[in-house]
Amino acid sequence: MAIVELVPVKTRILTPQDNIVEAIAAYAGDNIGPDDVVSVAESVVAITQGRIVRPEDMDPCFLARIICRLVPQKGSLSSAYGMQAAMDAEGKWRVTFAMIMGILAKLVGRNGVFYELAGEQAALIDDVTGTMPPFDKHIVYGPDNPNGVAEAIKARFGCHGAAVADVNDLKMAAILGVTAGLNPADLAQILIDNPFGNASQRTPIVVIKNYAQAARELAAG
Amino acid sequence: MLFFAVAAAALAVAVWLFIARQGDAEFEFLVDQRTDFKLEELSGNRAVFSCVVPFVNKGTQDGTIMDCFTRHLLPQEQFDAVEAFSRLELESRRRSDGYFEALIVPKTDGNAVIVTVAFAAKQGDIRQALTGMVDMPVEIYFQVVARGKWYVDKQRIVMMADEVAAALKPALAGA
Repeated sequence: MAIVELVPVKTRILTPQDNIVEAIAAYAGDNIGPDDVVSVAESVVAITQGRIVRPEDMDPCFLARIICRLVPQKGSLSSAYGMQAAMDAEGKWRVTFAMIMGILAKLVGRNGVFYELAGEQAALIDDVTGTMPPFDKHIVYGPDNPNGVAEAIKARFGCHGAAVADVNDLKMAAILGVTAGLNPADLAQILIDNPFGNASQRTPIVVIKNYAQAARELAAG
Repeated sequence: MLFFAVAAAALAVAVWLFIARQGDAEFEFLVDQRTDFKLEELSGNRAVFSCVVPFVNKGTQDGTIMDCFTRHLLPQEQFDAVEAFSRLELESRRRSDGYFEALIVPKTDGNAVIVTVAFAAKQGDIRQALTGMVDMPVEIYFQVVARGKWYVDKQRIVMMADEVAAALKPALAGA
């Protein structure tokens, strides 16, 4: 019986000057086989795509400064800059509408409506401190076209598949992008213990070894 | 029409009251509670001192200190025998590179920074060079991001000449 093994790959700090596929080649290229699935941390993909901004380079609009006040203070959109980032990504009026509907929904006991309506980026934005230095002073958006990134990784390495994952130490895992044929729910379950580690461990790539072989054996009973 | 105007005005007042009541983060470095500077290192032409300065978020909202650094003020017109260097680091997360990692500070919570000041004698032995040392202000600059617009503020401690002399005294006695 093949054993699925998670192999975290340590890298240097990746920056907007890096290409995520080339970074995987440099740090994990020799350790990726045809039965493996390559997963990468979404925030690092976003950083390599240049999807970062410093608050000093932003000018929050009136609505952002008001609406951020309605977000609980632990949330990434609770600062005017986080909210402005969401508005820049998803549209000012969409986010405003989502907030109004979210408040109305809360009045009738339904939570989460704001994030359902505000667009994917609203849930993916990391406010300052959300990422390791030197990006701790940046707002980091969610990655662009995560499915495309996953397909590009698979095409480059000839592996079974690839995924862009958002995992944290609170046992929350979401697969933002995945190659065709892979089940995001299964991958999320495999990554639930956050093999990417915390920020300081600098392991933004995790190779899931023997994934395809284990899946074949499981299917064969 | 009048109804909508009144409703809009009422909503604006309600939002303003909500924001005013919600408040924001407010940071204060408790400079009057800092520890005395103590001697960390003494060698040849170099002496290093440090002290601990607590800070608190006394506001009503969590806030982030994005950056924090020192600025020492020792003009050559006032004292020209040494070159001064200063830096700070978070007491609970020490690091040697002078980088201040952005830090969320919950409301009513706090932490402390370690302020380190190093003197290098321009000529000869540092103990001799520091003989005529003067009081030296050290400003702590901090950049805050919270609910409102980001801002930079500063507070000042003064490294007293007497304090430097007292910190040096045991080392001088042992020399």
